[in-house]
Amino acid sequence: MLHRRIYQFLIIYFIGLTALMLVKYSLNLSDYTVPGVNEIWNTYRRYFGLYLMAVLNTLAVAILGHILSICMATVVGIIGRLTIWVGSFIRVAAYNIQAYPIVAVAPIIFILLGDGLSSRLLIAAMICYFPLLLSFIGILSEPVAEIEHFFDSTLRMNWRLQVKIRAFENIHKLVTVIVGSATLAMVGTIVAEFIAANAGIGYSIRIALYQSDLAKILVALFLIGVCTSLYLVFLEWLGSFIKKRFGSI
Amino acid sequence: MLLELKELNYKYPGSVSDVFRDLSCRVTEPGFHALFGPSGVGKTTLAKIITGEIGGFDGEISTRGTDQVLYTFNLERLPGWHTIQEHLQAITPAASKDKIEELVESFGLQSCLNSRFAQLSLGQQNRTNLTRYLLQDFDLMIMDESLANVDEITKEKIILKIKAMFPERCFLYISHNVVEVSKFCKQILVLRSHHKKPQAVSLQGLDLRDGRALEKMALEQSMLEIVNAA
Repeated sequence: MLHRRIYQFLIIYFIGLTALMLVKYSLNLSDYTVPGVNEIWNTYRRYFGLYLMAVLNTLAVAILGHILSICMATVVGIIGRLTIWVGSFIRVAAYNIQAYPIVAVAPIIFILLGDGLSSRLLIAAMICYFPLLLSFIGILSEPVAEIEHFFDSTLRMNWRLQVKIRAFENIHKLVTVIVGSATLAMVGTIVAEFIAANAGIGYSIRIALYQSDLAKILVALFLIGVCTSLYLVFLEWLGSFIKKRFGSI
Repeated sequence: MLLELKELNYKYPGSVSDVFRDLSCRVTEPGFHALFGPSGVGKTTLAKIITGEIGGFDGEISTRGTDQVLYTFNLERLPGWHTIQEHLQAITPAASKDKIEELVESFGLQSCLNSRFAQLSLGQQNRTNLTRYLLQDFDLMIMDESLANVDEITKEKIILKIKAMFPERCFLYISHNVVEVSKFCKQILVLRSHHKKPQAVSLQGLDLRDGRALEKMALEQSMLEIVNAA
């Protein structure tokens, strides 16, 4: 699994790099516009440590944001499964709000919370929160009549048992959507850093953009890809462990 | 009076045809009774109306002296996080704990106790599901095809055990099997299409119990009556 993820990323990355070099040499672009292979390699050696720390910083925020969004989606999903008006209101609100681009709201968050950790975390969480929320609401509000009937008939049903039954019966779907939303958490954090934060790899890319230094951006992209792949590998391993432990019984 | 339905009328929301039209019937004494009828005639719908799972009908349902009504059907599943034994222990009221072993043994479930529900055969699943319902407090239990996928010998053993263990309770056994209905049931409510009047006909079954011999002629006569009534 590790090999597959890393190979896939490396193949895509080097195909992209090769295409860029083909464009550079076929159009005879200057090193200022598109740096040569030597310059990219030198930049890689010079900035590897700095950018690795920045990517790890971003990854840490993305993981925190991901966990935060899973918690928020679980809580709202539990309320949204209710058949009374609160549940209905939350379901409708969730469907409407998720259509609104978080990036457009991001400046308000930066104005109110500043450009520190809290803004990055909030934006990362919000970007992966809505896909999670829609799945969680869908799963938690769908009755599993063949199991729930007994507990309803014998008056044993309570909200914890209902959530447990529905989550357990849909463990495969939940794991898939959580793994899938991890990439969004990383994207969200980088976008937040790119817009206004003062740390992380998104911030480094913004600085590199101001300097028109494509070599730095390519190095940053390489490290982002490797670290995101490793995070996905970890989540897929965790997901398959959960599915094996609970999904087949 | 355990159960009485008076002039029950019902049609599903959005449907143009009636399921029940002036349906009346009654069950007056405890025992193992049957609700028999062709597919689609409304047996499950009637069961759900009696238990209150379906509302919006006209007519009167009286269940005086029948406080606890349970309805069980053959597609029910147990949660996957428990073994059968853990589940039975968790859901059995203290007063019925002593019945667990007896039912498990009679229903042939000893070998399933340490398994999870998904690991059982369909017949074992249905027997397990019925067992947990029998361990609950109830006055009337409606068993909707609860013994589907169970072989005839085991089925007979189970029905006779239920009759012996719960003589004061009332059962309404939904089945399409005319032989078992005639053989084991006391009162047989034959449910018919709403075009027929009356929509429900009550017949007497042979009510076979453990140790009693079955009269072949009587069985044939009972089966004939049921088939003609349906």
